Amino acid sequence: MWKVYDPMSVTVGNESVRTETVLGSIDTAVHPTFTSDAELRQYLPRAYRDRPFPNSLRYLYSPPTGVAPYGSYSAEARQAAGTPGSDPELAAEHLAAYGSDEAILLPLARGVLPNLDLGTEICKAINTWLAERWLSAATEVRYHGSIRLNPLDVEGSITELERWAGDDRMVQVSVPLEAHLPYGHRVYHRLWEAVAASGLPVAVRNDGYSGASFHPTPSGFPRHYAEFAALQQNNYIYHLTSLVAEGVFERLPALRWVFTDGGFDVMLPLMWRMDMDWPITRVETPWVPHLPSEYLRRHVRFVTSPFEGPPDDIVDEWSGIWDAGSLLMYGSAYPMWMSTGARDILPAALAEVRDRVLRGTAEEFFALRPRS
Amino acid sequence: MSEQKRTFVCHVDDLPPGTMKFLPVGKQGIGVYNVKGDFYALSNYCPHRGAPLCLGPVSGEVRPGDEPYELTWERDQEIVRCPWHGWEFEIATGNALALKNHKARSWPVTVEDGSVYVEGV
Repeated sequence: MWKVYDPMSVTVGNESVRTETVLGSIDTAVHPTFTSDAELRQYLPRAYRDRPFPNSLRYLYSPPTGVAPYGSYSAEARQAAGTPGSDPELAAEHLAAYGSDEAILLPLARGVLPNLDLGTEICKAINTWLAERWLSAATEVRYHGSIRLNPLDVEGSITELERWAGDDRMVQVSVPLEAHLPYGHRVYHRLWEAVAASGLPVAVRNDGYSGASFHPTPSGFPRHYAEFAALQQNNYIYHLTSLVAEGVFERLPALRWVFTDGGFDVMLPLMWRMDMDWPITRVETPWVPHLPSEYLRRHVRFVTSPFEGPPDDIVDEWSGIWDAGSLLMYGSAYPMWMSTGARDILPAALAEVRDRVLRGTAEEFFALRPRS
Repeated sequence: MSEQKRTFVCHVDDLPPGTMKFLPVGKQGIGVYNVKGDFYALSNYCPHRGAPLCLGPVSGEVRPGDEPYELTWERDQEIVRCPWHGWEFEIATGNALALKNHKARSWPVTVEDGSVYVEGV
């Protein structure tokens, strides 16, 4: 069960344990962009190059902030030419200023497309582009990559995963938040089996609500960006409960997940809710011998961006109850409008907790080797 | 040591396998069960929310099979299911199936000269 944090057990001799130092953090969620749509199309097979498909910038629920016309990007990521966040050197400068010396790149794909072959080709093109354009660049910040996979195409995704076997620049695979069935369902089982065998974690990322997505909330379409932004991200909880209840973590003990859309603050009450019903619902899912919340530490991590976080005066109590030192990893979401530097993450937390969030947990979770 | 307290339940023929006799003793009462010829006594008090546990059905255990998603039915008649929230307990020990640290109180049962006794009450 949850480690109950006892602030009295930690000696706080002076304020120096609450450090301002953020140098050397690992940014676990950076979203590199294409300079233009044409750049992505160069990497598609010729037969798919001229096909229409959605842009990664959503035309529904565009943020009424950030760089026009869609408002998705932070003003500081603006470039002289090309999409914000499309220049590896410039991005590295910004990330270094955020306090990071390593970053995990997770390019947005186009959600789930009805034409699943097209969806898979787009994922393959993105992966090749990432390796050539970003992971091969000599930059101030060391980049790691994500293998984008199309969850509608299990066989195609397994083949794509095999294409990157042995390339240790790739540190995770990634699938969209906007799935058509929760990720615990058995239709995905062969894919997760292959991913678990690869040793890579699965990162779930909102793909900009750009593909053939369901309603952004289970009750339908909200009217405003504020409602969309506050609630759509919480769809990750359906994937998490599905993975637990279907026994995926029991059948694949090596499988690990990271949810990169925020929502950490609402996670725990929802897991408590599932724990509460657990002894009653055991007969439905006897393949799950542990309380749902007990799977978190071994299998699941969360990224800070966007991060609500506690007020400074209760941060110790909060980080104990929420197990932040074990479950939470810093991610800036650069170049999105809500990009957050490491110094703004839990500034009042004890150094031991903050160091875990900014670097330690990610280093272990992604098995990152020291920089040579 | 003085002689242990014991309470007469019934004649052994009146408690056939798969059945329970209710003993109105103590605060909550006690259910005395015959599980395939072995006798056990459980408190009529569910450690979850205090429900009258022994009013719940005698049941078995749903277990995962060898194949993913396969369900099997095992230990028929060895489990009692609480009537309020469905918590399941092993009749022989009082142990909850889902949460190992929860237990319904139990007493030893003896059979002497064809009579069933609960020991200690």
